[in-house]
Amino acid sequence: MTELQYDVNSPAEISSAAARLHRVVSDVEISPDDVITVFESWAKSLDARELDDIPGIVFLRMWLRRGNLEPIISRELGSNGLHGGWTAYGRANCKAFPIGVVGHWPSGNVEIQPILSMTCALLGGNAALVRIPTDLVELTRRLMNKLVQSDPAELLTQRIFMASFERSRRDLHEAMAQAVDGAMIWGGKEAVLQVRSLPFPHWARVAAFGPRISVAAMDAGAWGNPYEQESWCRRIARDVWQFDQQACSSPQVLFLEKQTGQSNAQFIAHLRSAFETENQAHPRRTIPAALTSAICHARASWLLQDTAHQAFFPNGPNWTLLLGSGLDVPLPIQGRTLTVLEVDSLFDPVMKFDGNVQTLGLGMSDLEKERKLVQLAGTRGVDRIVKLGRMHAFAPPWDGVDLIRPMVRMVRHVCSTD
Amino acid sequence: MPQLDEKIDHVLSMPPYCQSPDERQASLLEILKEELDYACRRHVGYHNYVQHWPLDYRAASRVAELPFLPVGILKANPPLSFVGLDEIKRTLTSSATTSQSPSRVVLDSPTSRRMTKGIVTIVRDFIGPSRRPYLVVDTPGSNGGGSALGARGAAIQGLQPFSSETTYCLGLTDQDDLTLDRDKLREFAKDRQDTELLVYGFTSILWNYLAKFLMAENICLNLPKARILHSGGWKRLQDQAVEKIVFNEQLARVFGCSPDRIIDFYGMVESVGVIYPDCSEGNKHAPVFGEVIVRNPLTLEPVAAGEHGIVQVCSILPTSFPGNLLLTEDLAKVIAYDDCPCGRRGVSFRFAGRIPRAELRGCGNLQSKRSVTA
Repeated sequence: MTELQYDVNSPAEISSAAARLHRVVSDVEISPDDVITVFESWAKSLDARELDDIPGIVFLRMWLRRGNLEPIISRELGSNGLHGGWTAYGRANCKAFPIGVVGHWPSGNVEIQPILSMTCALLGGNAALVRIPTDLVELTRRLMNKLVQSDPAELLTQRIFMASFERSRRDLHEAMAQAVDGAMIWGGKEAVLQVRSLPFPHWARVAAFGPRISVAAMDAGAWGNPYEQESWCRRIARDVWQFDQQACSSPQVLFLEKQTGQSNAQFIAHLRSAFETENQAHPRRTIPAALTSAICHARASWLLQDTAHQAFFPNGPNWTLLLGSGLDVPLPIQGRTLTVLEVDSLFDPVMKFDGNVQTLGLGMSDLEKERKLVQLAGTRGVDRIVKLGRMHAFAPPWDGVDLIRPMVRMVRHVCSTD
Repeated sequence: MPQLDEKIDHVLSMPPYCQSPDERQASLLEILKEELDYACRRHVGYHNYVQHWPLDYRAASRVAELPFLPVGILKANPPLSFVGLDEIKRTLTSSATTSQSPSRVVLDSPTSRRMTKGIVTIVRDFIGPSRRPYLVVDTPGSNGGGSALGARGAAIQGLQPFSSETTYCLGLTDQDDLTLDRDKLREFAKDRQDTELLVYGFTSILWNYLAKFLMAENICLNLPKARILHSGGWKRLQDQAVEKIVFNEQLARVFGCSPDRIIDFYGMVESVGVIYPDCSEGNKHAPVFGEVIVRNPLTLEPVAAGEHGIVQVCSILPTSFPGNLLLTEDLAKVIAYDDCPCGRRGVSFRFAGRIPRAELRGCGNLQSKRSVTA
């Protein structure tokens, strides 16, 4: 383990670490620009062959780039926020200050999520107390080693404490909650509710990113354009493959708008080809037997259920396309299993969204229709509407919430001499 | 169907572990392809599934290439059936320990007859052909009387052809809990130290309602010629940390027999007529009318000897429901693809437990747990 990651066994270890982090935050102020400078160096060091096997590594490198982060800082923390300056708002000036120590409870299955969550707090000048899920300890260590090398002055590393302990250790979760000023919680319903029920201080800010799924949709003009079909299909395959279709932003279903007299057979053929190509480029190295079982079950139940249903899949569990029609978002199978449903109008399925859809990935040729669809999606609980191929772009707002601003205090100053 | 019936009956009449792997492949492949033809004609949904299989089954050169169904599909209600309602003689239900809903399989007369014959053929290979007094460590009610039969009842009935007289030694309390009927047990055991006997019970029932009580009172039944068969798995004994070796030693002590007279067999209601008893080497074998394929979860290809994977059971016996090629929710290790020292031909394997339930993964879950049977 690096000096940043510890196997924690007692609440006292957490309290002691948190006390140290609090001192660092109050003693040393850092600006987002200082943080981004280290991040840039870290991003370069992550471009290493030995890290290529880490799912999401390309994405993490992009996230850490100055070009990506500066606009986010300006939007969330104000035009002078990048350098820790005050920004004028009418007669007042505002500046972001850290809330203190931010606790992070990432989910155990999106490999880079502990890091992504932590970076949000650091950009606000906070310290980060991160619980690393047991399965991600080694992988996170490899990524954090690169940060240690990129931050010789310990500008950031002195603000980080990563604790690994069993999920069942309620006493350690409680110690973490009691020691923090804010929390970023990621995971399923059960996990989020459990963490939210911990004894946080009354002032603690909590940002919870709970269970959501995502949907792709294309109008007939987009999928029916023979010159663009391959490109769209590559984008869809990328969105499915990234994070192994396990992220809340992963598409589980693709709604295709029907067009009278036009078959989608050619488009589906391109989609099959794109899935096969993506699989060759990014083959799985392991798979839980339960997921294989679930994939086999999904294929069989889909085809047995209705003779109008079709499916395409290889011998193994590598990928699956389930084809049919219908307006309801099916329960996610994951495992690179995409249900493709034909609909008369894209407005019909979107009308049925129940607040559980996080991202709507769109491929549209009709801009006016897109505007109306976006308006409807917003009212039906969708938080992100993006172009297909960019469904995982980890840019705020995420789940309708900013990523940095919730963990800072926007201090307002109205000059006494005015 | 008559020709297919004849072919199945011919295989059923053979010694159950006599064929080399190649002979078995050829024989099973031909019959299973015919059964798939038949099934596709009888069920449009099944036909749709088979049609979409990446390889045309008619061109398959190995049993492993044929379209298999995940066993969870048999939880459908009404059950998947290839026969008309008037042809259904019996519906078997699984014990549903892992999920809430049981599997349901429908048997017509030919499948029911083959089920009985299949079990008899296998058990005879392990305990010999003679009939003998049969002690069932269960209640008479578990054997059902109607057209629906659970997993325990199916196992009890499957061994009935070896019985000269049958005694049930468990009863029910007023609260419907199982309880040992000591009088019946004593009566059964009386003066039988020189008699070949057959004992059967679900693994957990045998332990919790017979062995534990007799061990606590230091009672030995003195039945050295008892053959004790048990099935149902170890899941319910996991909390008590009872391992197979301890189970065998303690049970042998209670019955006063040698531990090698205790035979654990694996059976699934869904794989009618095929059970997998442990051989003298502690391995399991598939009979000539069936096959076991252990598949790598990553590729779904058969694993090499020594490797673990998901168990697929194959059987030519059922023609009334899609139970010929079933991907189970169990894991196993292939010991060898032939030449088990016990003398039985074909693949030898050992079960390695159920597929662990997995969380539906992600930065957000819809369901807190994924049941492998979905």
